[in-house]
Amino acid sequence: MALLKKSSIWIAFIVALLGLPLLFDSILAISILNQMVIAIVFALSYNMLLGQGGMLSFGHAVYFGLGGFLSVHALMLIEFETMVFSILWIPLIGGLFGLLAGIFIGSFSTRKAGTVFAMISLGIGELIAASSLIFSSFFGGEAGISGDRTFGPTFFGFDFAQNIEIYYVAAVWAFIATLFMYLFTQTPAGRMANAVRDNPERAEFIGYSSRKVRFISFCASGLFAGIAGGLFALNYEFITEENLNAATSGRVLLMAYIGGLGYFIGPIIGAVVLTLMNSLLSNYSELWMLYLGIMFLLTVMYLPRGFAGFIMMHQLAWVRGNMKLLIKPYLVTTIPALLFTLCTIALIEMSHTEDEVFHYLGLVLNPASPITWIVILAIAGGAFYAVKRSLLQLNDAWETANAIPKEEET
Amino acid sequence: MAILSLIDVKKNFGATEIIRGVSLDIVQGEKHAIIGPNGAGKSTLFHLISGRYNLSAGSIRFKEQQIENKPPYEIARMGLARSFQVTNIFQRMSVFENIRCALFWSKGYGYSFWHLLGRQTELNDEAMHVLEQIGLTEKAKFPSGELAYAEQRALELGISIASGAELIMLDEPVAGMSHSEAQNAVELIRKITEGKTLIMVEHDMNIIFDVADRISVLVYGEIIATDEPKNIRANPKVQEAYLGEVHSA
Ligand SMILES: Nc1ncnc2c1ncn2[C@@H]1O[C@H](COP(=O)(O)OP(=O)(O)OP(=O)(O)O)[C@@H](O)[C@H]1O
Ligand SMILES: [Mg+2]
Repeated sequence: MALLKKSSIWIAFIVALLGLPLLFDSILAISILNQMVIAIVFALSYNMLLGQGGMLSFGHAVYFGLGGFLSVHALMLIEFETMVFSILWIPLIGGLFGLLAGIFIGSFSTRKAGTVFAMISLGIGELIAASSLIFSSFFGGEAGISGDRTFGPTFFGFDFAQNIEIYYVAAVWAFIATLFMYLFTQTPAGRMANAVRDNPERAEFIGYSSRKVRFISFCASGLFAGIAGGLFALNYEFITEENLNAATSGRVLLMAYIGGLGYFIGPIIGAVVLTLMNSLLSNYSELWMLYLGIMFLLTVMYLPRGFAGFIMMHQLAWVRGNMKLLIKPYLVTTIPALLFTLCTIALIEMSHTEDEVFHYLGLVLNPASPITWIVILAIAGGAFYAVKRSLLQLNDAWETANAIPKEEET
Repeated sequence: MAILSLIDVKKNFGATEIIRGVSLDIVQGEKHAIIGPNGAGKSTLFHLISGRYNLSAGSIRFKEQQIENKPPYEIARMGLARSFQVTNIFQRMSVFENIRCALFWSKGYGYSFWHLLGRQTELNDEAMHVLEQIGLTEKAKFPSGELAYAEQRALELGISIASGAELIMLDEPVAGMSHSEAQNAVELIRKITEGKTLIMVEHDMNIIFDVADRISVLVYGEIIATDEPKNIRANPKVQEAYLGEVHSA
């Protein structure tokens, strides 16, 4: 029974991976899906460090990027027939290089956790990013390097010219990587990573060197980040310094954090949400980075355990069959909250725009007129007040839904 | 046969000498209590033996091997397990996971990333058995950081005894427990350490006279007497330095 329940999640994951491109088959959708599966592997690999191992890294893009660079080189080798193998194996090459980098860098950076580790990761990140601009024969300088994935042996007639073909390759790799990262958490090394995260000192008194436990997680994390880098190389067929610098490292931290570090599924949620926001928001607004930042702040402040933590918060109410008590108060809160958000966005966009008229949600607004501002501010104020009121109700409903039923109390 | 020998062990923090030349032989299989006033250096002595601190001078032999200045995990692997005076557990992990982790090394798992824990029936049964012994079966899935104080003390004890080490060192294992909880814990300690060697720091004289074969009295960083309980009671030096102080307090 428990086995069935466990495997049903994995089956759902497979169905989602295989089915999504059938539902969303536009060029844009496939491109977003590709980014998504890459981000999932990358964010999960990051969580092996932070969520499971207690290592805050500011330089995780190094392993992603190095894996990606080597993968593009491998593409070139295939292209010039120096070597002949199917591009299907490229992510493995990326992974092995990520692992090698992890072994080398981890051998000294995992000596301590905490601030020391964080600072070393930052330093290494800067070092590698700077080196990548200097050693341009390998990294291609600012332009980066590019390859072509359509060479090499075909696979049952597929030459991987289409993005959708690469999507399925990436989906299979993502599934394998996710499965192995999950299985890692179920091994002694994975459990000891949690133990060392919680209390490195005590771990030493039950026979484990904290440093070695961290080192193993670190190497595994490098391996999977490298696989993600290889998938990136296959998808875009080029890679630049941007893919191993601090901005990319920051983004993966954001994904894992927003999704929820404490849950295996958290980084997957974070990767999906952030990829969607990245690609969709950037179509609508130049200020999407600002909104991303605001969302990060709000998540850190109000959902410290991330989206996954927020979902899991409802477990008790769900088990008690009380979810229906929450639906109405949630709706009552969400509607004014949405209104407030839309008004805030309007105000931000209006102060940014240089146009005479501002098109927003089918409305034509005049940013120069004080009346526009006053009206929107008034609506925002009203909505804010409504949210505050309805939050009280939501709070009450929450307590009823989670209260211990009478018969259990005794 | 001495399983553990301390030879003129010294420890200073900066200029202050906390352990001032301790020599002590712990006989294989004995239950040895260490008593002494607050701040005498009992916990420090434990830290020196278990590898948490490096010695300033002297040497320590455990099972015929020099262990001073070895890292704690190597000493633990040789069969020395210890508990802490201040609860020292894996806060965010469940009670069951705490115990299971304490079993890994002695069960030979090492740093394995190829054994799936769900399939290790023997290991899991063993962990449940330890939970039963420390009375935490009901709390198996509970996050250990959210346990009540006495339960955390029981878990602390459980982590220390789980691996079945030959030498078990307990630093005030029942401090802060209620009378009946302490009674149970002492029963458990007695049962679990049968045929093994025990070193225990404890303030409660009833428990000590009940459990210990021998007692060492540590005062101001020095052992002033090591003897059987009845002789310790009669020792004038001890009465003056320690028991008298307790009684008058
Ligand atoms: N890391 C340290 N640095 C400096 N001084 C220390 C350190 N650890 C312990 N001490 C000092 O060493 C002395 C002995 O401390 P220790 O904890 O070993 O005493 P104890 O006998 O276990 O006392 P208690 O009965 O209160 O547990 C104390 O005066 C303490 O302040
Ligand atoms: Mg002490």
